[in-house]
Amino acid sequence: MSEEAKKNFVGALTARPTSDDQKQAPALNVPPKKVIIKSADMIPDMQKEAVDIAVAAFERYNVEKDVAEQIKKEFDKRHGPTWHCIVGRNFAQYSQLAPAQYYKVGCDVDIQGSYVTHETNHFVYFYLDQKAVLLFKSG
Amino acid sequence: MLEGKAVIGETDMLQTMQQDAMDLASKALDFFDVTEAIKIARFIKKEFDRMHGPGWQCIVGTDFGSFVTHCCGCFIYFCLGNLAILLFRGSAAPEAHENRFSALDAAKA
Repeated sequence: MSEEAKKNFVGALTARPTSDDQKQAPALNVPPKKVIIKSADMIPDMQKEAVDIAVAAFERYNVEKDVAEQIKKEFDKRHGPTWHCIVGRNFAQYSQLAPAQYYKVGCDVDIQGSYVTHETNHFVYFYLDQKAVLLFKSG
Repeated sequence: MLEGKAVIGETDMLQTMQQDAMDLASKALDFFDVTEAIKIARFIKKEFDRMHGPGWQCIVGTDFGSFVTHCCGCFIYFCLGNLAILLFRGSAAPEAHENRFSALDAAKA
């Protein structure tokens, strides 16, 4: 398990014309987001790229599917199709049944490394503060 | 365990396959507890790989958003009780012309 933190401002070409709340520029003393890479089958440069894109996406969007969309499309563009991205919290509270019961978002990823060799080295699962990001290539 | 009826959020799948997915999810909840999301996801995925060919991916949880590319006719997102289940087949071919984009946001329980 390795820890790294970095802020990277990746400007997107798409503008948001009807944006009401203007995001203020982050101050220099804002502490960087904590990044914990839980599981990775990916070259370090690509891991770092994934984290950077995720940090930028979280700064721009609030909805998780928008964050996932941004990350996936960016990777489709840079590293070829087809990537899949899931973004969510590590734990979800099951408050309706048991107030203290939590459980983890899970995913069974099938990377067909035996048959499609280029799919190996294309999997990363990391935490960005309280959010988990799963990014992998399949097909 | 009585989970109640499955509610389909979005799908691109034959009716029979939809029913298979929901039946498997109910069966998985009989075998596993709702806290074992990974086992539930694995169970559903393995069964679909066996029944409908390889390459399926399954995500189970209560709080996640996703953005994936799937084969035509191989995608379903539904809720069973408080669990959200996303099941799709990623393209296995290097050049896939039938892929579509799907974006989902699971409802918080």
